[in-house]
Amino acid sequence: MFFKTLYRDLVRQPLRTLLTLSGVVWGTFAVVLLLAFGSAVKEQTMKSFRGMGKGIVLVFPSTTTMAYKGLTKGREVRITPETVETLPTKLPETIEMVSPDFSRAKRIRRKKEEVFNTVRGVNVDYEKMRNTIPAKGRFLNDADLSLRRRVAFIGYTLAEKLFKEEDPVGQQIFIEGVPFTVVGVLIHKIQTSNYNGMRDEHAAFIPWTTYTALYGDKFVNCFIYRPIHPEESPQSIEVLRNHLGDRAGFSPQDKDALQIWDFSEMEGKINIFLLSLTIFLGMIGSFTLLVGGVGVASIMLVIVEERRREIGVKLAMGAKRRQILAQFFLESITVILTGGAVGFSMAALLLKVLPMDKIKDYVGVPKLNPLVALATVATLLIIGLISGMMPARKAASTDPIEALRG
Amino acid sequence: MIELVKIRKVYRTGQVVYEALKGIHMKVNPGEFIAIMGPSGSGKSTLMNLLGCLDTPTEGFYFLEGEDVAGLSFDQLSEIRNKKIGFVFQSFNLLLYSTAFENIELPMLFDGIGRRERRERVEMLLERVGLKEWADHRPTEMSGGQQQRVAIARALANDPPIILADEPTGNLDSKSGKEIMDLFTELNREGKTILMVTHDHGIAGYARRKVEILDGQISTDTPNGFGHPTSPSPESPV
Ligand SMILES: Nc1ncnc2c1ncn2[C@@H]1O[C@H](COP(=O)(O)OP(=O)(O)OP(=O)(O)O)[C@@H](O)[C@H]1O
Ligand SMILES: [Mg+2]
Repeated sequence: MFFKTLYRDLVRQPLRTLLTLSGVVWGTFAVVLLLAFGSAVKEQTMKSFRGMGKGIVLVFPSTTTMAYKGLTKGREVRITPETVETLPTKLPETIEMVSPDFSRAKRIRRKKEEVFNTVRGVNVDYEKMRNTIPAKGRFLNDADLSLRRRVAFIGYTLAEKLFKEEDPVGQQIFIEGVPFTVVGVLIHKIQTSNYNGMRDEHAAFIPWTTYTALYGDKFVNCFIYRPIHPEESPQSIEVLRNHLGDRAGFSPQDKDALQIWDFSEMEGKINIFLLSLTIFLGMIGSFTLLVGGVGVASIMLVIVEERRREIGVKLAMGAKRRQILAQFFLESITVILTGGAVGFSMAALLLKVLPMDKIKDYVGVPKLNPLVALATVATLLIIGLISGMMPARKAASTDPIEALRG
Repeated sequence: MIELVKIRKVYRTGQVVYEALKGIHMKVNPGEFIAIMGPSGSGKSTLMNLLGCLDTPTEGFYFLEGEDVAGLSFDQLSEIRNKKIGFVFQSFNLLLYSTAFENIELPMLFDGIGRRERRERVEMLLERVGLKEWADHRPTEMSGGQQQRVAIARALANDPPIILADEPTGNLDSKSGKEIMDLFTELNREGKTILMVTHDHGIAGYARRKVEILDGQISTDTPNGFGHPTSPSPESPV
């Protein structure tokens, strides 16, 4: 009975039905797409952050801008890898682990293939901090460091360039003419930010002990550390300035002596940014959907007006007010949910067929995750509820005498 | 069966107060066939709306089969309208996009009667009003007389004891009007209590009691049908 009436009402005026539906279809479509993109951007950004490392702080020794203990300003701050490696023992409350970081572009050759890529001298803990997880083989180990072995862990792009299809692990490459054995290859990971040289996928990682022995560097280009409490990274930086200021000859108040890149702090900020982005997109989508809902409500109000006599007849024949309410409410809800289902399917289809390869690295692959689906359905239901209730209440409050007159 | 005691109905529109019914006393016994007459604006429809439980009086008592219904809520009155009262209107008030069958079925839907029983009863009623072949036709495909007969079948759907008709022949030609009145006479013989508003003395002649309303009050209340030309079997009122 209900569906028969509904069908008749909808088919009676196909154009009006189409217009009503299209508002909801479009609204749902927009909500799904915006939320899907939002959550993809969020996921991707977090992933590329993981590519950089989680909760780490990068420290770049720079130039002093204040005189300190008889030393003039404008001096270069110089920090040895040995000083860096003692930090976890000297500051056990503050620093969990640390790695010196030397880097320079060098000629890397294998057979006829030669490139000029970044070579980094680091220690074992670098792997944990920077997530340089091996796809094949292993990362550098303690023995590599203490024995100054000529071993290298290489990025996957570098591996492809030098080895093509071959397995690089155990094979030889030449860095500035010196033979190194490849011990491992980096997994594919996403990394959109970087420092000092090329991205990890192009780089070769060697023990810093080997690096200093071969190239004669005495001071690190930078170093990475992980605070014991990532949420207290700003305090850890203060502690570090105090500690190193004494040894390297700069004032703890001299903020420019050490350039700091605090990832745990940035992560928090970016998280908030991404959350607001998602909310913003969701709101735009919801407004679009709301417009669709308003469309349904106003058209249903017109329908109620047109069907006053029918409502009057039903009330006279013994319909209760809440039965009339239910009838019109269900009609609106059906229109809205049908439109929602169509819009949802259209968005899902689009997300499936849209070629995403070009934008993948930056915004990720938008897809229908359960959260997006849930948020859309919830929004639809709320809007359906509101825009269904208004005309239904109007219908239920019809005065039968008034409606039946004439 | 019906007893009205000191019924008053006052309409308020803004500052204007209008007393449409000024103390109506009336008693209706089961099986009566009453014509309500009176000039336009005298309060006939107002009275019918109260009798049909579509409206509630401002003051007074309304006993329907012993129950005081004057103070019931709208949804409680819905129940009474559904089971005890059949409405017939001047403008038929059929659902235009529904078939004759669906129109007749309507009161049963609100009573929660099963599909099968509904079908049986609708078919019986269609036959009763002589529209057996018209089940699947819409009101727009029917003549006024046929539409009014569908409306009567609908009024009978839940087999109510009372039928209320406000100018049932007002929109019909005299031939169709006569057919409708013959149907009413038959229904009355079978025991239905009928109250009917009309301006037409010929139509009123079918009833067996005539109540005249003037300015919100009953002015005359007389047994009817002594030698009126169009009046059928002149039996005295019960
Ligand atoms: N809802 C209302 N608000 C205010 N006044 C009303 C309302 N309904 C009816 N009236 C007034 O009450 C009086 C009686 O109206 P009613 O419809 O009962 O007359 P009637 O006898 O049926 O007239 P008619 O023969 O024209 O149908 C009229 O003066 C009318 O204007
Ligand atoms: Mg009237």
